[in-house]
Amino acid sequence: MSLDLPLVFAALMGLAILMYVVLDGYDLGVGMLMPAADEREQDLMVASIGPFWDANETWLVLGVGILLVAFPAAHGLVLGALYLPVAAMLVGLMLRGVAFEFRVKAEGWHRGLWNWLFWFGSFLASFAQGLMLGRYITGFHPGFGYYVFAMLVGASLCGGYVLLGSTWLILKTQGELQKKALAWARWGLLWVALGVALVSLATPLVSHTVQAKWFDFPRTLALMLLPLATLAAGWRVWAATGRLKRGEREFDWMPLAATVAIFTLAFAGLAYSLFPYVVIDRMTIREAAAHPSALKFTLVGVAIVFPFLIAYTVFAYRVFRGKARAGLYE
Amino acid sequence: MDQSDVLLLARAQFGLNIAFHILFPSLTIALGWLLFYFRIRYARSGDPAWLATYKLWTKVFALSFAMGVVSGITMSFQFGTNWPGYMQRVGNIAGPLLAYEVLTAFFLEATFLGVMLFGMNRVPGWVHVLSAAMVAIGTTISAFWILALNSWMHTPAGHEMDGSQLVAGDWLQVIFNPSFPYRFTHMLLASGLTASFVVAGLSAWRLLRSGDDASARKTLRTGLVLAAVLAPLQILVGDLHGLNTLEHQPAKIAAIEAIWKTEKGAPLVLFAVPDDERRRNDFAVEIPKGASLVLRHDPEAEVQGVEAFVPDAAPVAPVFFAFRVMVGMGVLMLLAAWTGAWATRRGMLPQRWMLWAFSGFTFAGWIATLAGWLVTEIGRQPWLVTGILRTREAVGGASGAQLGASLTGYIITYTVMLIAYLVVLTHLAGKGADA
Repeated sequence: MSLDLPLVFAALMGLAILMYVVLDGYDLGVGMLMPAADEREQDLMVASIGPFWDANETWLVLGVGILLVAFPAAHGLVLGALYLPVAAMLVGLMLRGVAFEFRVKAEGWHRGLWNWLFWFGSFLASFAQGLMLGRYITGFHPGFGYYVFAMLVGASLCGGYVLLGSTWLILKTQGELQKKALAWARWGLLWVALGVALVSLATPLVSHTVQAKWFDFPRTLALMLLPLATLAAGWRVWAATGRLKRGEREFDWMPLAATVAIFTLAFAGLAYSLFPYVVIDRMTIREAAAHPSALKFTLVGVAIVFPFLIAYTVFAYRVFRGKARAGLYE
Repeated sequence: MDQSDVLLLARAQFGLNIAFHILFPSLTIALGWLLFYFRIRYARSGDPAWLATYKLWTKVFALSFAMGVVSGITMSFQFGTNWPGYMQRVGNIAGPLLAYEVLTAFFLEATFLGVMLFGMNRVPGWVHVLSAAMVAIGTTISAFWILALNSWMHTPAGHEMDGSQLVAGDWLQVIFNPSFPYRFTHMLLASGLTASFVVAGLSAWRLLRSGDDASARKTLRTGLVLAAVLAPLQILVGDLHGLNTLEHQPAKIAAIEAIWKTEKGAPLVLFAVPDDERRRNDFAVEIPKGASLVLRHDPEAEVQGVEAFVPDAAPVAPVFFAFRVMVGMGVLMLLAAWTGAWATRRGMLPQRWMLWAFSGFTFAGWIATLAGWLVTEIGRQPWLVTGILRTREAVGGASGAQLGASLTGYIITYTVMLIAYLVVLTHLAGKGADA
């Protein structure tokens, strides 16, 4: 039996990136929402992501790690083309990562400064990731219009992360803060709608390959399930936040679950557009793939480690289930 | 801007990043095990002083770990952005080793760190102790993989060619390459020494600030005794590592010893100012036939000099000086640790001047570790992977302007982070375990 190794690794990389976007997305979103909350609420917000953020960011390392291991030719091309946004993202991730630790240990104006850096780092990292996405899906084309487009995607991804962050807070908090989070979620949803629409319209315009894949009757009809399901998930977020606002019966995890569905569907659409390219119209996963000996050796590790990884990740989320409690290292 | 400037900037940026990064793992690898020890002591005795100790050092660990994580993420990207040629040439070997580090170590330590930091009241005691063990195991596994890769770059083994591609023929030989056992042990001991001096130094600082503190006395003693045991071991392992280097990377040894010409009965250069331009030593203080005796155990044996390796000889001056800083720090640390272990016997409190001295040695491990890495990494130049890939062949397409702009950003960020880190560390230590 022979495995299609490039395909397997493309799927794994997709999974790692999706996991990263959803998991670090909610804690970046919480970071961006900091200025909208008062001091006591800020402590609670930070406490809600405290046990998770380290592991969340590790998915990014895994994603870029798989790119590096499995598609070395694409790794150099992609990261070279995205040099500055990557550097900006890294500075942002560094600032927020350490601000997270420093803010709880600081006092007086220092604390204010680290809170600001936590917000700024979260925003910078999110915006830079959106820029990277915008540049990536347009095949790194130079030109003013493409840069404006990338900036819009950057802003939309910030909105998406705000939506993830606020729906996370709906799940993890109660009372006043939860009410605030419900309002934030609705704003975030509007941004996401804009972002998803923008990317969906722009990618076929930029690339004939993408256009041909989506506008190919009768397959198009089946593919329309994807945007329809996304719309339904968006509506679910809107309706669920509405019910929670009015104090009607609704699961507090529903807005988050529906948001994750939006991200997963949008990701699936993107993956369908790009496949089998790893750099659109330029390099396929097969052209970029590393030597089979490297892929096989890595796959053995993945197969052994993944079940454990999933198990203890689930364990950690179970340990910290329920509403967040403020307080450091209790 | 010509290619050599781009190479210089790429090296400066990566060097800065990796030097900044290594500070934190070199502390957390061993501190993870110390935390596990503190946690066990508390679980066994129920003594609140051990709990307080554990909690204080958990904060230090969390802070240092975060610094390591964020600078490490940066490095995972810089492999691609700064050295695309590296991945193109040896990606089939380097890639999987890095992937194994992420898979087996990063998730383990990050996830269980969350449980360890925030879960003490949420999980049973034994699960919490187990989490502390998982974090320590995770940091050590991480060191295992990264040192396997680094050692392979120094002493490649187990690889073969498949067409134009370099691939692994035997993964066990790749991982357990000739220098790996020495380098891995040397680094673990370096981490042990770094952590024990940080623990002892900050505890001494606490005792200076407060007069007395049961928890700080415990940790001062723990740090000093551990260092007193590890320091002589490290000197022994370092010597073995040196002999291994002589066998596999004689060019590096020639640079370390500043021996320019291949000769019989080569002198041991104690001090000199090596001149790389004119290939000679100024102001040299030498022991005749010393190098032959130390390296070959025979005063008349032949020792290869730098000239034997031209044009692929390493720069001598930085390697020569960094080596002497490392060895000098090692000897000072040995003396400090033994003095300290003696001065704290049977629960005694050392005199104030001694506490000041230990405080002064808080970051001694960092200096020695950085100096050691400079020796080994500059000593490998001009090779990135010995005999396979030169550093200048790996540099990538990023322009000088991009490198310059991001380098400026990194310098500012790292400076802010390092200052804040040191301020918080001193502040935490000053408040002590009851804070």
